[in-house]
Amino acid sequence: MAIDRERRRVLGKLLAGTLAGWLARVPLLAGPRAGGRKGAPARPAAGLPDVVVARRKALQAKGGAPGAEAVREALGAAIARATGAKDPVAGLASLLRPGDVVGVKLNCLAGRGLSPRPELVRALVDWLLEAGVAPRRVILFDRSTRELRRAGIVPGAFPAGVRVVGIDNDYDWTPREWGPSGSCFARVLVREVSALVNVGVVKDHDLAGVSLGLKNWYGVIHNPNKMHDDGCSPYVAHLAAYPLIREKLRLTILDGIVAQAHGGPARSPRWTWPWGGVIVSATDPVAVDATGLRVIEERRRELGLPSLAEEKRAPRWLPEAARLGLGRDDPARIRLVEA
Amino acid sequence: MSTREDRREFLASLLAGGCAACLLSGACGIDPALAQDAASGASLIPPTDSDLPLTPARWWKPLDGGRVECGLCPKKCRVADMERGMCGVRENRGGKYWTLVHSRPCTIHIDPIEKKPFYHVLPGTGSLSLAAPGCNIECRFCQNWQIAQVRPEQVRTFELRPGQVVALARKHRTPTIACTYTEPVVWSEYVQDIGAAAKKAGVRTLLVSNGFINEEPLRDLLPVLGAVKIDLKSFRDRFYRDVCHGELRPVLDTLRRLKKHGTWTEIVVLVIPTLNDSREEFRDLAKFVVNELGPETPVHFTRFHPSFRLRNLPRTPVRTLEIAHDIARKEGLWFPYVGNVPGHPYNSTYCPGCGAMVIQRTGMAVLENRLKNGRCPRCGHEIPGIWS
Repeated sequence: MAIDRERRRVLGKLLAGTLAGWLARVPLLAGPRAGGRKGAPARPAAGLPDVVVARRKALQAKGGAPGAEAVREALGAAIARATGAKDPVAGLASLLRPGDVVGVKLNCLAGRGLSPRPELVRALVDWLLEAGVAPRRVILFDRSTRELRRAGIVPGAFPAGVRVVGIDNDYDWTPREWGPSGSCFARVLVREVSALVNVGVVKDHDLAGVSLGLKNWYGVIHNPNKMHDDGCSPYVAHLAAYPLIREKLRLTILDGIVAQAHGGPARSPRWTWPWGGVIVSATDPVAVDATGLRVIEERRRELGLPSLAEEKRAPRWLPEAARLGLGRDDPARIRLVEA
Repeated sequence: MSTREDRREFLASLLAGGCAACLLSGACGIDPALAQDAASGASLIPPTDSDLPLTPARWWKPLDGGRVECGLCPKKCRVADMERGMCGVRENRGGKYWTLVHSRPCTIHIDPIEKKPFYHVLPGTGSLSLAAPGCNIECRFCQNWQIAQVRPEQVRTFELRPGQVVALARKHRTPTIACTYTEPVVWSEYVQDIGAAAKKAGVRTLLVSNGFINEEPLRDLLPVLGAVKIDLKSFRDRFYRDVCHGELRPVLDTLRRLKKHGTWTEIVVLVIPTLNDSREEFRDLAKFVVNELGPETPVHFTRFHPSFRLRNLPRTPVRTLEIAHDIARKEGLWFPYVGNVPGHPYNSTYCPGCGAMVIQRTGMAVLENRLKNGRCPRCGHEIPGIWS
């Protein structure tokens, strides 16, 4: 009997200790933590535009193969304007927290000529480093090493320490439910990066209508091929709304120096043209895509092509993204400025 | 007394869980002995997409603008250049369509044929069972999702030509080769070539499939198939759409075509609590099988275990499976079974003529086969199936 009583006493203490430990983790009872919630998005200053467009004649030169300086100038102006800062370095600094590991998601499926151009990515990386992010805390990533290489995104093109990561087969092999579907997510996204910069391109997509910023997140899941029916809707919207992405996203950049109005997502030179600009937002990933969509639809009109709606390829996931509260899809309500 | 019963129940559940774990783990990977065999003349292929082999796909047509339309399954994916169909294993490159998984299995084992399950095909024999990656639907409860719901570059595969598959079967004296574990429809080119080589060697090829395949490719496969098992996920289209990303009608069409062709077919219904376990559904399903496929068609009602994206539901109560069995029998089916419940009396085959037990099983093991030339030893009733 004495042994039983002792056992009960020990078990009771253990239980009490466990309960106390658990309660301490409950926000209602725990004290506030320094630095706020880890992983929460940095809040851009109020009054910022939803979208900034920077087009330059210099970017249209040489059929869309401008010099690095012209690219740097346009992107820098757009980031500064999108963040309300005096320059892109200060702008990026305002979006990040000390210690952030910044993941730059690229879209290199189409190879060189219709992927984020290396000089644009280089400018972004340089400013991140100037903003105080250590080189090893900058990760340029996409779904495969091969595609990164084909787009010219190789370690040698960036300062020492900056990591270029092809996801290849490196997923966190725990299926996670998101919206109407479920996937395993890239480990680099799950385990490493705390802040995301999404760098897409302005291009047509055979099934999704367009592939701009939101669609680029298909590259972080193991099973994107399962999400292509029904025009990728509502999958694109729900994936972008998944907390792993939504809560880490700080900036969206679309490389539209060369854009493609038809025949995507692969590069089809017949349908590319030097639009000569970049589209940037620090506040609204939906408005960025709505703006990119307008660019493509205008070009299709110029070429005498039917609209995406007429081809039954209108991106229905865009209004769905707005409905989910990710941003604005109505052009009339988007605060767009030029830089 | 009650403590003793509790203990028994606990031990039984442990045993069942252990068996289930073994079964699940058994679906992924390579039997070491077979891997060694397979590796002679071939080496393990590193899992990078740059190394994926390209074999011309069959059953597709070109569209404008370099796009293609896949004709393999009812999805009829329209695939742009550099993109893949929903299965993730067929890719458009420059306006031509390719399969990335021909001769690249990711899994190979010798299983009891009862594991497929085939209960009326050569009972008690082993079946050389292999899979290449991929699937054309996406069941939330997929038991083999690590190889079925992935792209081929995401699993380790190795080279094994159809002739090598047949040679392995002969070496290990398995009378059948089962294309199983994932969805063989998406690697139909490989299945067709294995089947042709196996047929020449006197080995039967078995297809373990969801039945989500178009008429033309099925017609091309049938001549090389010895028997087919179809996973009928539910008898409700809504279930197919909501839970499997598929459709019911094409699966029923496949079953009718198999019947018309005379291919031996068995059906498995994985019964999932609250999703496809109503009496009305069991009844409708049984009526369809009796009326359109024939009462001799075996139907296995099997037990669900939480898996993949469906982990919030419990295992199927055994009683539910018994109800399904009883309804099926009442509707006129001769051979309803209860599966994934080792030791259950409904694992065994009973003569529809006199009720005698003709094949006694526990789970995947045949304890006794009393058939005499495919007939009941007591009343002489013919038991349909492939027995020799």
